[in-house]
Amino acid sequence: MRKVLRNFRGLRALVLQGDVTGRDKLLQTLEKLGLNAEAVAHDDATPDLIDSADLIFVDADEGIDPIFGEDSLPSVPIIAIIGNEAPSRLSRIVKVRAVSHIQKPVRSSGVFTAVLLGINEFAQRQRLEQQADVLRRRLSGRRVVVKAVIALMRRWGIDEDVAYQKLRSDAMRERIPVEEVAARVLGAPQNDPTTKNRAGSRE
Amino acid sequence: MSAGARLAIEEVNRLHAGKIRLEQVPFDPKGDLRGYVEGAQYLLGELGLKQVVGCYTSSSRKEVLPYFEKHDAMLWYPSHYEGFETAENVVYTGAAPNQHILPLARHLLGQGRRRGWLVGSNYIWAWENNRILREALTNTRGDVVGERYFPVGETELEDVVKQIIADQPDFVFTTLIGSSLFAFIKQLRAAAESAGIDQKTAFPICSCSLSEAELPFLGEAGDGHISSSVYFSSIATAENERFTSAWDAQFGQMGRASADAEATYLGVHLLAKAAMRAGTGAFAPVREAVRGARFAGPQGDICVDPDNLHCWMRPRIGRSRKDGTFELLFEKPVAIRPDPYLTWTSEDDDGQAADLRVIK
Repeated sequence: MRKVLRNFRGLRALVLQGDVTGRDKLLQTLEKLGLNAEAVAHDDATPDLIDSADLIFVDADEGIDPIFGEDSLPSVPIIAIIGNEAPSRLSRIVKVRAVSHIQKPVRSSGVFTAVLLGINEFAQRQRLEQQADVLRRRLSGRRVVVKAVIALMRRWGIDEDVAYQKLRSDAMRERIPVEEVAARVLGAPQNDPTTKNRAGSRE
Repeated sequence: MSAGARLAIEEVNRLHAGKIRLEQVPFDPKGDLRGYVEGAQYLLGELGLKQVVGCYTSSSRKEVLPYFEKHDAMLWYPSHYEGFETAENVVYTGAAPNQHILPLARHLLGQGRRRGWLVGSNYIWAWENNRILREALTNTRGDVVGERYFPVGETELEDVVKQIIADQPDFVFTTLIGSSLFAFIKQLRAAAESAGIDQKTAFPICSCSLSEAELPFLGEAGDGHISSSVYFSSIATAENERFTSAWDAQFGQMGRASADAEATYLGVHLLAKAAMRAGTGAFAPVREAVRGARFAGPQGDICVDPDNLHCWMRPRIGRSRKDGTFELLFEKPVAIRPDPYLTWTSEDDDGQAADLRVIK
């Protein structure tokens, strides 16, 4: 279990919201929690401003267009401010993958919970995505590894376990992924020392 | 608390006669959460009052807070508590966690007491205090030897007492309250004695809530306990001299003046000051007037933080004596900023440990 993050001192919170009731209360509360908070109407937010934020609040009630395009979804926790619970409003929140929310009217209590949940949930999500990346890479490399194992078996007349062990020990010695060693075996058989040895022994 | 408020009301009405007159409308929720809601509905809804002094537990405060928000009224909350709240409808005149829980943890670690046994009543005050202490210990090579919670009012504590005697920790931290606390201290002291252990020095009982109000209930086992608080009746200021004499004359039968009594006394004085400054008893003007308000109280000069409406106060560590008072062991030379969310202070270091001053 990872440590729960609960100190948010110095983080930059961007509140994308027009000058409506409750906005000042939210900013004040964020400041009390040690964050640097800034509010700007969504239409006035520059890409730079959005990029520099560590945490973004979005108002589900404002506007009809998607809050962020699918390609331009900021890679920070997004917390929704929800007033009207109509499905058209809430679907905009689902699309930006909001990690937590606060309900209008905004009160000082509830903000800490939303920030804490949001930041921890987002961190967890990022860890899962990194793990998924690693697994995806491994998976796409499997085919190369299998081909390399077969190639070595044919070249050397060795069995599958020995061939795989050879790839693994090369990878460990050179500290590179086993997939990379496999690609090398397949891509440049002439330069592979194992191939040379094998060729020599055959003649 | 009620007695502390009455002292302050009398004082304000005497000292500021003609400028302000405070009138009290007592309501006793009898320690029942539903009683607090009824009180809030009656005082705020039916009577339309805007300034209320009261609540002891966090759960009672949380229970009535929505009513204060709905009716635009201010709660003057006179209890130290575990923090993690900054309501705009509450002025907090007791200690925040960085003013009593963290200083205690630091004091114990500074004494080389690293192995703690944590015993508490089963509710938020105990859970959150123990979390803070646990983090402070584990971040500094300390160790939680054991941790147990009991229902409020539980007095059959032989098993945990036996375990503590067997474990021989460096200290026992307790968040037990009321009759559980009294039973625990007496049983632990007795069990240590029959085991030939001097409990006071071997593993002192430490707490953030043991005050002068509890000591009379401990009998022979009342001395040698460590408490962290912003107020002790033994503080040597002229204001405290005046406060404790007035207290002893009127309420001496309740024991010596305690932190909760003093915090309530401060709350009423701050309320009077803010109302005089605002020229009204209305909610918003009084709230704005109390931001940054200063008062020379029994514990020394305090100041209401303009941002979070908690008070700047001086952490102190005391050790209980047979006469029902505390001997002061340590105090901060200056008031420190209240940090209810522990944003600026962490469990293991606040960068202020160096200026803890030994006074005895």
